[in-house]
Amino acid sequence: MPAVKDTLEQVAGLEKYEHGFVTEVEQEFAPRGLDRDTVAFISRKKDEPDWMLAWRLEAFERWSAMESPDWARVSFPPIDYQDATYYAAPKAKDGPASLDDVDPEILKTYEKLGIPLREQEVLAGVTGAPRYAVDAVFDSVSVVTTFKKELAEAGVIFCSMSEAVREHPELVRKYLGSVVPVTDNFFACLNSAVFSDGSFVYVPPGVRCPMELSTYFRINAAGSGQFERTLIIADKGSFVSYLEGCTAPMRDENQLHAAVVELVALEDAEIKYSTVQNWYPGDPETGKGGIYNFVTKRADCRGDRSRVSWTQVETGSAITWKYPSCVLRGRESVGEFYSIAITNGRQQADTGTKMIHLGEGTRSRIISKGISAGRSSNTYRGLVSAHPKARGARNFTQCDSLLIGKSCAAHTVPYIEARNGACTFEHEATTTRLSEDQLFYARQRGLSEEEAVQLLVNGFVREVLQELPMEFAVEAQKLVAISLEGSVG
Amino acid sequence: MNLDEAIRLRDPAQLPSRRDEDWRWTDLRGLLRTIPEPSSPLGPQAIGVGPFEGLAAESLVVANGSGPETLRVAPGETRTVILRHVSRGDGAHSARLRIEVGGGARLTLLESHEGGGSSLSLLGVDLTLEDGASCERLVLADLDPEAVAVVELDVELSAGGRYAQTVLTTGARRQRFETRLRHPGLRSEARLDGVYILAGRKHADLTSVVRHTGPDGRTDQLTRGFADGQSRAVFQGRITVQEGADGVDARMAHNALILSDRAEVDARPELEIYADDVACAHGATVGALDDDVLFYMRQRGLAETDARALLAVSFLGEVIERIDFAAGAERVRSWLLARIGAGV
Amino acid sequence: MTQMTRPDSTAAMLSLRGLHARVGDREILKGLDLQVPSGEVHAIMGPNGAGKSTLSYVLTGRPGYEVTAGSAELDGVNLLELEPDERAANGLFLSFQYPLEIPGVPALTFIRSALNAQRKARGEAEISAPDFLKRARSCAADLKMDFDMLKRPMNVGFSGGEKKRMEIFQMAMFAPRFMILDETDSGLDIDALKVVSEGVNALRAPDRGMLVITHYQRLLDHIRPDRVHVLADGRIVASGGPELALELERHGYDKYARAA
Repeated sequence: MPAVKDTLEQVAGLEKYEHGFVTEVEQEFAPRGLDRDTVAFISRKKDEPDWMLAWRLEAFERWSAMESPDWARVSFPPIDYQDATYYAAPKAKDGPASLDDVDPEILKTYEKLGIPLREQEVLAGVTGAPRYAVDAVFDSVSVVTTFKKELAEAGVIFCSMSEAVREHPELVRKYLGSVVPVTDNFFACLNSAVFSDGSFVYVPPGVRCPMELSTYFRINAAGSGQFERTLIIADKGSFVSYLEGCTAPMRDENQLHAAVVELVALEDAEIKYSTVQNWYPGDPETGKGGIYNFVTKRADCRGDRSRVSWTQVETGSAITWKYPSCVLRGRESVGEFYSIAITNGRQQADTGTKMIHLGEGTRSRIISKGISAGRSSNTYRGLVSAHPKARGARNFTQCDSLLIGKSCAAHTVPYIEARNGACTFEHEATTTRLSEDQLFYARQRGLSEEEAVQLLVNGFVREVLQELPMEFAVEAQKLVAISLEGSVG
Repeated sequence: MNLDEAIRLRDPAQLPSRRDEDWRWTDLRGLLRTIPEPSSPLGPQAIGVGPFEGLAAESLVVANGSGPETLRVAPGETRTVILRHVSRGDGAHSARLRIEVGGGARLTLLESHEGGGSSLSLLGVDLTLEDGASCERLVLADLDPEAVAVVELDVELSAGGRYAQTVLTTGARRQRFETRLRHPGLRSEARLDGVYILAGRKHADLTSVVRHTGPDGRTDQLTRGFADGQSRAVFQGRITVQEGADGVDARMAHNALILSDRAEVDARPELEIYADDVACAHGATVGALDDDVLFYMRQRGLAETDARALLAVSFLGEVIERIDFAAGAERVRSWLLARIGAGV
Repeated sequence: MTQMTRPDSTAAMLSLRGLHARVGDREILKGLDLQVPSGEVHAIMGPNGAGKSTLSYVLTGRPGYEVTAGSAELDGVNLLELEPDERAANGLFLSFQYPLEIPGVPALTFIRSALNAQRKARGEAEISAPDFLKRARSCAADLKMDFDMLKRPMNVGFSGGEKKRMEIFQMAMFAPRFMILDETDSGLDIDALKVVSEGVNALRAPDRGMLVITHYQRLLDHIRPDRVHVLADGRIVASGGPELALELERHGYDKYARAA
């Protein structure tokens, strides 16, 4: 089994959490705390037009009146929103013109993380790295976006959100908040007030985006949160594949990551959105530290026959609380959700999806693989609903949980709402433990217990890994292996 | 939120509402602005004859909230008892019944919910099964379209015992059957089945919570039903396996057919697992009758209504086949046929 | 229920004139003419996608198959006005290319309900349980079927060949006046093909008609047709005797695909 061996060798050289280092870089912060002035500070730093500031302030007012939700199966002490920093940026000119303007320390950070930022090297084949465009977000700002020129030639806009607000206000004003309304939920509302940076993508009609787009999020500063905002619009008949990756240093405190991602697919357009989430999970023994990953991700399949596919590999964060969803508005539009969620140590995950069937002949598919190990808790929560007009709607859901060890927990909470006489929903779920028989079989053939577990787990999640762009599938497979280290024996 | 208090204190604020996660599809507070006056007692002629008439010598009647409060089956005894819950008029009433089945005893409980009028009713039953005791409960509920009714059953199962129930209902304005079962494992078994046939504007909610607290327990659930007209069916099933309850085998299935564009089916099959050596699965399907199968049957000469009825009977029949008490199963089958003929 | 009329001696039993039909937005039959006299077996051959299965569904009234022009009569009765079950009661039987599974309904229960529904529609008395079982046993023996198979839910878990045999079994039980066999040979090995063909041939009679739809000539070695028609692009483009089938086997459908 050369593939297994490969994985094992790759894994062997790695630390438990390999991205836990801190970058020493001079940074600029907003004053600690959150009020109207903080919001205005962020907006001013980003040189935003008045309408953007007004939008933020409105969101802040609404948020101040809201209460933190408590319905998810996760527990954490109340968050003191006044004891955090809402803006942290490396001291440099905002939006560096070229890679040369970027602090070498930051470049080193991305190098260490294996993220290719040097186009010329990639183009020259020096590093042998896969060819994809990257928007690198360091704490609150985007430090660099690669391949902008080549993408522009195809008509694709790929830039930081701050830049989009300045350069493409008509698109931003039209679509921002149109999928996730400002007051959608507590964390989305907070994000609307204080969002720092994130990526903006617009693919014009009929264009197939010539390369994978990706954003790499890095929380570096202590005592800060990250509130990125991503907006992707695929115009009629276009296609784009986008990948998001995330890491953070190991810190004893909990840091908040409250992102909002909005996707809009118009007629016949397709968006593939993949996430490999590997925020710092906290200390596996004590549960100290780690990222609170409270994210709102939603796609609006606005056009007929549009298609959105969410693929996520969630291995990090102390708490993950997210439900990438599809509003299937267009006739015969399609939504897909492929998820691997792994919890180990003291991690808690409450994740899943919502497929809202509004249009006729809409289809959705959900494949969720949850793995709980250590003393973690892993919940799949999902909603599939068909409204009276969504005749011919179909959903298939397969939701499997795997338990490794005596002290972990796995929950499955699907909500199914069928409101017309011509929809077909099928939902299947299983919870099992890792099969002793299979483990023994693999060990009899010479694999160590750890190897055998990894082999079986890889088999368990295969269906979802296949949905990732090829360059990232290998990465994700490694990640799966690392996350489960120390879970047996 | 406490329905019993809501009725006793006539306080609508105590009614469960859709803000309570477990009642999101069966909102009572949004339905009832006030709690009706207490129901008046019923005379014998208002009680009539129940659907299980003739299948047991012993019969308990709870009429508009008043009736016996305990039933005790002595250890080793085998008994079949009819329990009739009859509601008439437009008042509100609640009753609570305690049933104890002694070690090794067997109880067959033939329970019916009748009448209803436009009343608000609650029947609570506490059922305790001692070691090796078993109970099979068959429920036929056919209430008036304006009735609001909740039936709560708390079952305490013991080692080596068995609890089985089959609830069949045609719904009401709002209706909920909630079964909470504490499952100690230790080679004990539970079967919780249900059938709903809903038409008009009726609503039925079959909710169950099974808590596996010990090792080696089995739970098997099959609920099937169909919703026609503007009706709404709710299925909520939660199976919890506590830490240490290894070797649990739990299966849950819910299959629904929607026969009309204005009907609704809501389902939440939940697994909550804290032990690792378990085999748990649930499956849920919602769909329409298969048009291709209907055409095939019609090509062979069956009229559409007959083809639909035949499919419906076979679809629901699989639940009836799981009933142990043969005479009861027969009665239930004809009860079902009479309602499908009209309902499909 | 429309009354059956006796065939007059000049008209064909099954008569299709200028039949146009569509599924959704796609027109599939584009002016199909066909006459099958009583007592004859006609074969319809043609390339994939020519409209062969559509023809069988249009004649039996499957929802979603819309006739836009033309007529279809069986013994002078306008089929197009009838519900699918009324057509069945009129003696029209389709052996499905892909027979459906009916979970929870034993085959015998299903067939008996259907037979009695047909008889009732024709104003005949229900068949008694002993008579029905006797007939079922005899038909099953003729088709070399295990009688226990008939107690299982209709077609559930059956192999392709078993399903086809079950179709012919039903045909024998109903003894219909006009039979359409849609790709009945697919999924059958040579022994099964022989048994099934014998079953079909046993139903040939002067007062019955049959339409055999097939892509291959193989079946026609066993069920000898009186006439062979080539269906291409929604129309009959050639007709001839049994020799036409042999010619098609040798030269394929290319010529007709081009002609259409």
